[in-house]
Amino acid sequence: MAGIRTRREVFFNRAAIAGVMVALFIMLVPIYWITSTAFKPRNLATTIPPTVLFTPEISPFVKLFTKRSQLRDPVAQEIYDAAPWWEQMVFDGGQKVVRSNKGVVRRSGYGQRFLNSLIIAITSTFLAVSMGTLTAYGFSRFKVKGEDDWMFFILSTRMLPPVVVAIPMFLMYRLVGLHDTHIGLIILYTAFNLSFSVWLMKGFIDEIPREYEEAALVDGYTRMQAFFKVVLPEAMTGIAATAVFCFITAWNEYAFALIMTNRKAQTAPPFIPSQIGSGLPDWTVIAAGTFLFLLPVAIFTFLLRNHLLRGMSFGAIRK
Amino acid sequence: MAQIELKNVQKFFGPVQVIKDMDLTINDGEFVVMLGQSGCGKTTTLRAIAGLETVTSGEIFIDGVAVHEKKAADRDIAFVFQSFSLYPHMNVYENIAFPLRAVGMSNAERDKAVKEVAEILQITALLDRRPSALAGGDMQRVAIGRALVRRPKALLMDEPIGALDAKLREEMRSEIKRLHISRGSTSVYVTHDQIEAMSLADRIVIMHDGLLQQIGAPDEVYLKPANLFVAEFVGSPVMNVADVVLAASGGQIQVRLGHGDAGFHFPAGLTNHLKETGADIALGIRPEAVSLQHDAKDGYIPVETTNIEPLGSHDIVDIKLGDISLRARTESGFVSGEGQQVWVNIDPAQAHFFDRSSGLALRGQS
Repeated sequence: MAGIRTRREVFFNRAAIAGVMVALFIMLVPIYWITSTAFKPRNLATTIPPTVLFTPEISPFVKLFTKRSQLRDPVAQEIYDAAPWWEQMVFDGGQKVVRSNKGVVRRSGYGQRFLNSLIIAITSTFLAVSMGTLTAYGFSRFKVKGEDDWMFFILSTRMLPPVVVAIPMFLMYRLVGLHDTHIGLIILYTAFNLSFSVWLMKGFIDEIPREYEEAALVDGYTRMQAFFKVVLPEAMTGIAATAVFCFITAWNEYAFALIMTNRKAQTAPPFIPSQIGSGLPDWTVIAAGTFLFLLPVAIFTFLLRNHLLRGMSFGAIRK
Repeated sequence: MAQIELKNVQKFFGPVQVIKDMDLTINDGEFVVMLGQSGCGKTTTLRAIAGLETVTSGEIFIDGVAVHEKKAADRDIAFVFQSFSLYPHMNVYENIAFPLRAVGMSNAERDKAVKEVAEILQITALLDRRPSALAGGDMQRVAIGRALVRRPKALLMDEPIGALDAKLREEMRSEIKRLHISRGSTSVYVTHDQIEAMSLADRIVIMHDGLLQQIGAPDEVYLKPANLFVAEFVGSPVMNVADVVLAASGGQIQVRLGHGDAGFHFPAGLTNHLKETGADIALGIRPEAVSLQHDAKDGYIPVETTNIEPLGSHDIVDIKLGDISLRARTESGFVSGEGQQVWVNIDPAQAHFFDRSSGLALRGQS
């Protein structure tokens, strides 16, 4: 790269930066919208034009994690005083005054649903990536009879939109007792992601020179040891990229989560819209649920960012 | 250290036979170079010895023990790859220590062995660097260090310096030779570079199309090529090869090249054995055995120069003789330009005759 740039290059460079900024702005608007709504008082969430300046509050989050039911009588002052601060907030709407029309407070299902999401997404990602990596290694390094056909078959499992088979899947799951179980969704998401994982990992493993393993084989290691000590560290980039993709798919999945679960193993995506409730929709609660739901993917991607920067440029790994 | 023995080894890749009837014994402490063009089967042979490739049939012995059905890990040999193949996620120290970890050596012993090898290869200062931060020559030193640290029975090298630039190659070549002399390890070295082969080898194994062509010491291969392939493959610039016609003229034999009437005089003794073979005969003569003169002289044939390659220490001069071209090695500046008239002769003692159809060398009793 020369230090001196022509006028033309400077212009295109600035134009590119401007283009990126515009794109970034457009992409960040929904994120901003959700984030700001999650901290708005309910009455400001749906104003037209949208309220930009407001005093942020955490009542949407409190409402998200609690379940309130109406009481006929006002809450007694002593109950109010004895209650922790978050329950007091629900009793009085943050007004510090006991009102007559509030109710009893219990924990809502969101925490459990969020935990379900984490368990199911992490487990299925781990399974899809580890099985995908082993399969890809086999296809990459050994002569497999009908390799191309097998690879096409693996790819073909993604050709049908999964929702098409939702009803038969539901019936099968109910028959074998996998309906509304963690293991049921884990199997489902692993199956979704496996073909993708195999294809992606094969690309990455093909790029790792065989000589690395051969050197290890000659130096007294078994094939399995060579795989774990040499291939796996080299494939970390690909594994990270594949894991992010698989995690996002499993984390965001909505349709099957809605159909296959209803309570025990329900994940966050079908739960959040159910909070709209029967009366006037409280968008702040939805926004709060969505905001929290966005965080794990952001954190996961952030943690793996160094691997991803190299990993996204498929096959650009060279010593 | 050990003796390596290949007995009737065959290797097929699908329908293609890449090693044909290979019989080869590499003695304890010997440095053997396998020389040939790419695709001749030399690397496959090396990988078969290492256990990275199975053989279709035949046997391989290391130290008298049949190993052809053993895994690479159990053969106790070391392999140096052309690509160095240093593990990028480990530093130099870890790379060299890696083979020792497989055998479960104690930490102190391992540390000692790594440092000792690093000392010999002068890479002590680089031990905590990553391979990506090394220059090509140092990478190869580390790769050799990794191979030597375990004190294997044999050291196999697959074009280990092929990826380096010319100057570094020369340096590493003498370093490999020095290491071999000091350690005395049985070494098998694969290359397509005949200069590497000549300078390093105790014996050279020349392969072509999966077949052994000749096994011999460097000077033997150079001075007595077993066939046309070896004759043309070894030596730079390449040996002149031309069809010849033999004609008797007064007690001497005239060797005529290029369908001309003029011929070089050979003593009858040197060509007696050629009479019995009814085959077409080709003459091979190295450029240094072709002598040029400015003036007419007995036995010399007048020719014209067509091209001159000045190489500093000497020139390579192309001359036209009948309808063929011969290359001669002269002192530099001997011929000033193209189209010059010179007189040429060849040294009968350095002439090689080959059977054109079989390619085999035709040698007398002497």
